[in-house]
Amino acid sequence: MQHTPSSPPLRRHFRQTRDRLATALITAGGIGVIAAVMAIGVFLAVEVVPLFWSSTDTPRINLETLWLPQDYEGHRTPVHRWQPAMPEEGGESRFGMLPLVWGTLEAAAWALVIAVPLALGAAAHSALFMSRRLRARLKPTLELMEAMPGVVVGFVAGLVLAPWLDVHLALGMTLLIILPPGLLLAGGLWARLGAGLRRRLPMGWAALWLLPWLLLLWGLSSWLAPLLEAWWFDGDLRAWLEVSLGLDYANRNAIIVGMAMGFAVMPSIYALAEDALSGVPKSLVEGAEALGATRWQTLWKVVLPAAGPGVLSAVMIGAGRAVGETMIVLMASGNTALMTASPLDGLRSMAASIAIELPEAAPGGTHYRLLLLAALLLFVFTFCVNTLAEVVRSRLRRRYHRMGGAS
Amino acid sequence: MTAPWRRSPKRAASGEGPWAWLAAGSVAASLALLALLLGLLAVRGLGHFWPADVAVVTLDDGRQLAGREVKEVPLSDGDGRERLYRTGNRDLDDAIWAWVDLDEIHEVDHPSGLVVLERRRWGEFIGRLEAIETESGERIVGESTWLALERRLTALAAHRDSIDVLRDQTIRPLVHRLEAGEATLGEREALAKAQARVHERQAAMPADTLVLETVDGRRLRQPLTEVVRALRPNAMGVTEKVVTWGRDVWRFLSEGPRAANTAGGVWPAIFGTILMVVLMSIFVTPFGVLAAVYLNEVAHQGRLTRWVRIGVRNLAGVPSIVYGVFGLGVFVYGIGGHLDDWFFASSLPSPTFGTGGLLWASLTLALLTLPVVIVATEEGLARIPESQREGALALGATRLEMLTRVVLPMATPAMLTGVILAVARAAGEVAPLMLVGVAKLAPQVPLDGEFPFLHLERKFMHLGYHIFDAAFHGGDVQAAMPLIYATALLLVLVILVLNLTAIFLRHHLRSRHGTLPKY
Amino acid sequence: MTVMQETRSSPGAFIDFSPDATSLEIRGFGLRYGDKPALANLTLRVPRHRVTAFIGPSGCGKSTLLRALNRLHDLNEEVTWEGEIRLEGQDIHAPEVAVAELRRRVGMVFQAPNPFPMSIYDNVAFGLRLQGRMPKRRVDDIVEWALRSSALWDEVKDRLRASAWSLSGGQQQRLVIARTLAVGPEVLLLDEPASALDPISTLKVEELIRNLKSSLTLVLVTHNMQQAARVSDYTAFLQNGELVEYAPTDTLFTNPRLARTENYITGRMA
Repeated sequence: MQHTPSSPPLRRHFRQTRDRLATALITAGGIGVIAAVMAIGVFLAVEVVPLFWSSTDTPRINLETLWLPQDYEGHRTPVHRWQPAMPEEGGESRFGMLPLVWGTLEAAAWALVIAVPLALGAAAHSALFMSRRLRARLKPTLELMEAMPGVVVGFVAGLVLAPWLDVHLALGMTLLIILPPGLLLAGGLWARLGAGLRRRLPMGWAALWLLPWLLLLWGLSSWLAPLLEAWWFDGDLRAWLEVSLGLDYANRNAIIVGMAMGFAVMPSIYALAEDALSGVPKSLVEGAEALGATRWQTLWKVVLPAAGPGVLSAVMIGAGRAVGETMIVLMASGNTALMTASPLDGLRSMAASIAIELPEAAPGGTHYRLLLLAALLLFVFTFCVNTLAEVVRSRLRRRYHRMGGAS
Repeated sequence: MTAPWRRSPKRAASGEGPWAWLAAGSVAASLALLALLLGLLAVRGLGHFWPADVAVVTLDDGRQLAGREVKEVPLSDGDGRERLYRTGNRDLDDAIWAWVDLDEIHEVDHPSGLVVLERRRWGEFIGRLEAIETESGERIVGESTWLALERRLTALAAHRDSIDVLRDQTIRPLVHRLEAGEATLGEREALAKAQARVHERQAAMPADTLVLETVDGRRLRQPLTEVVRALRPNAMGVTEKVVTWGRDVWRFLSEGPRAANTAGGVWPAIFGTILMVVLMSIFVTPFGVLAAVYLNEVAHQGRLTRWVRIGVRNLAGVPSIVYGVFGLGVFVYGIGGHLDDWFFASSLPSPTFGTGGLLWASLTLALLTLPVVIVATEEGLARIPESQREGALALGATRLEMLTRVVLPMATPAMLTGVILAVARAAGEVAPLMLVGVAKLAPQVPLDGEFPFLHLERKFMHLGYHIFDAAFHGGDVQAAMPLIYATALLLVLVILVLNLTAIFLRHHLRSRHGTLPKY
Repeated sequence: MTVMQETRSSPGAFIDFSPDATSLEIRGFGLRYGDKPALANLTLRVPRHRVTAFIGPSGCGKSTLLRALNRLHDLNEEVTWEGEIRLEGQDIHAPEVAVAELRRRVGMVFQAPNPFPMSIYDNVAFGLRLQGRMPKRRVDDIVEWALRSSALWDEVKDRLRASAWSLSGGQQQRLVIARTLAVGPEVLLLDEPASALDPISTLKVEELIRNLKSSLTLVLVTHNMQQAARVSDYTAFLQNGELVEYAPTDTLFTNPRLARTENYITGRMA
């Protein structure tokens, strides 16, 4: 041997000690960081507890006052009210949490109504039908949508979409009616096209060449809208809504929140659902296609049953996001703590309430603690939903793995 | 993940049935929505700076008005359309908008002599420049008036700059010393001298008066010192307009807001956002990497670690407002309150750290983005083949040496990806900031020439909050809209660029590992 | 050293070396993953400056044993062991033994080449730099020497700064050997070092192994019996975590004592 570059004992000792020290430090630091993150739940719980056993606070708070309708001055029957600060002197604060919970769930529900069909349809199309080249471009693009800041979406919803819909309510409704049959019509026409044209407009690129078609449908709708409004609604849809359905159209309402938030949560549902669908082992798909199933039959009979849990977890994660989204609701909902089922009324969500009221609430007071309770509810809800979704997803991954798929 | 079955021979897709077309349509519709949103922001945001022509509208009844066309909508009572003009002249008309029924318009003209003045008070003036009255009582009229105005405005800008420099660099620090009771006699004299110089400069500003006339013949005498900028858009060629447009975009990026955030620029908000995000990265990077290294390299890989990992992953899905609540309760009221009691008792009851500020905001956002960094770093660590670790250990490396010399360098792109994603998320997050330290208008930026230079306790401005504030708390939302569009576009662009960088890095990381030989 | 005790699990461990000629001594060594036994009651001696091969069917524990020799199992918390392993007479599990130093003395080359994502030069200098600061000249010398020893110098001397990942598989494996040689090990463990290589690279690595035994003790795990026959001096046959037979390679391959061994090397294994 030419040499023995063994280090001197002192250095050996130094390296060993340094290693032990660093390991201890990493362990301590790692546990510390994780504990700090996890401390959020603990902090909220600790701050909320005094609500229920301190009796000195003037407005008595217990489960009953929070969740059941109460007798308030000026109301003949018990009602739910969230009015933390009364405008006049000496007025009592009214702390019924139900309107906030209702608002939160209503907003999330409308968001899901918008986002889920859109996201799942898009996921199905891009997992099974879309050309690979297009998909490689489109998927990241749609995923980038996820990063769109809530404040921008909220601004567009509250200050652009809401006033627009205020004027063009009939057009919006016509679009909703026209789009699905219009797309089906596109499919029907396409099937009748000559083979040459059909090759030039392949199904795999439908996402792109349908865009002009959508524009055409838009044009058709704006032509049809006044006619429809005149035929069915006596020329004024809003008046008709108010008279025959008793629905009052609020400028910023649940539908607008749902559209904006649906736009915001759609990409995350899409991304997760697409992963689940395209992760289905190819052997299954090939088996079904070899038996003569169409792509759509394959999707429906084979891919969806296999990927079902993954799709479900995608929807759950979307729901978690919708429940906690703050800025969009804050800017597009009007923030009125109402408890109505009408999608044309405003609403106020827990997250928006926290954002508006917490800076003004006195720390340690009842109002402050109630807002913290709202935060705790949000935390627990999203954490549970996400954990469930994560467990489902990891099970699914293992299942694909067993089935021999590359996911 | 690729889906190899797509390569299977083409089947006649005509038999797919109706649902397939709805699915395809939803992709197209999502794309259309995205394009619509981005297009709207881009067109409105950038279009605002375009020095569009000013129209003089003559109505059937002989009235005249001058303004820029904003939009055209159908009349609410059915037939016909009406057009909105932005007419400025708030001091004369009490409004800056005018609706005109298209049927009533007799004639629309674009005379080249119209000027648009941007003023410190009352916003824009649109009309004709009649004359300049100098201090000595001279009157400049005719063709040379415009040139004289331009010359004077240039001189004025130079004066303003020198006064600003004097204020920022000399007077403000001295005033602070004086307030703290530490100023020496010499410093007092210096202060007095500087203030005298400011007065001198102010006095030296051209105290001319502009004589203006609106298109409908009302006269206005406007002190020149109030005028920020003057344009004759109808007389400008396309190149000139492009140059002006570029300058205005730059002014938007580099100047402070005016008129309660409805005009001017967003520089303090850009600066505040960047500073906050940088501080946040400084907090989040080491801790995130530490936690990821612990979870992936040190911790016993048992059931507990698996649950902790899922928990950390899920914290990324907890609403940001909840983090804001935590930041307010723990950082601001908890730690900040105690810091005030211990170190800043003299200034109580006005809080120093016991209120929202830069430090607490960046800490809160660091906590919020910690899961992002942890997850990304862990993914990078998990992708490093075990053989690399064993190779290092087999050469006699300790675990620390293995980590620092082999594992962490290989995981660097993943860490960077995580940090960039965290920054992108933090830059767009507004809700928690509303609780822990953002301000609608921060008089002092948190970074300046005064010791200790970085003022962690100060409130700061933020692009996202700027949008929210201008859109919902400002007075005339309609007037602020173009600026909100521009701010939103800026925010979206910043976040887009950050995300694209992260995607690029992740791709780079993958392809580098792709070259790892698989024998 | 007297004749080794005959144990049930090591019927063939009869080769006797004087203690002076013994590099590694394994005594009653057993190892389990959790509650799954992987090695049981192994006893054998590895001679100094010779090539010893471990052969046996997949999963027989030969790689596990090799990894135990430089304590790579320390990383896995599920692993428990018993018995002892002595390197030059010292128990490698003794508390005063620094595991990093042990691994420097007992180098290891893995089945798949695992060069670090650095330059060729940095790969070879990696272990050296761990030992402390060293003059650049000396590092250069050792790197050159290590690359020459692993017969790679002529192929890479002009591109020492190139990425190690740009080398071919055979070159990478020789680079990994060079990297290990550079820290001056006494024992070199080779875990199927040629299994991922093409025939020509395999020959080069085998030639290298034969050349290295003048200064090193080599332990080779292989599933390729021809390879064991070509390069090793002694061969141990393991099955189900037990040592079946251990003999000079010639003897084992031409005249195995046990039917089990014969069945394996002639390919009549069940």
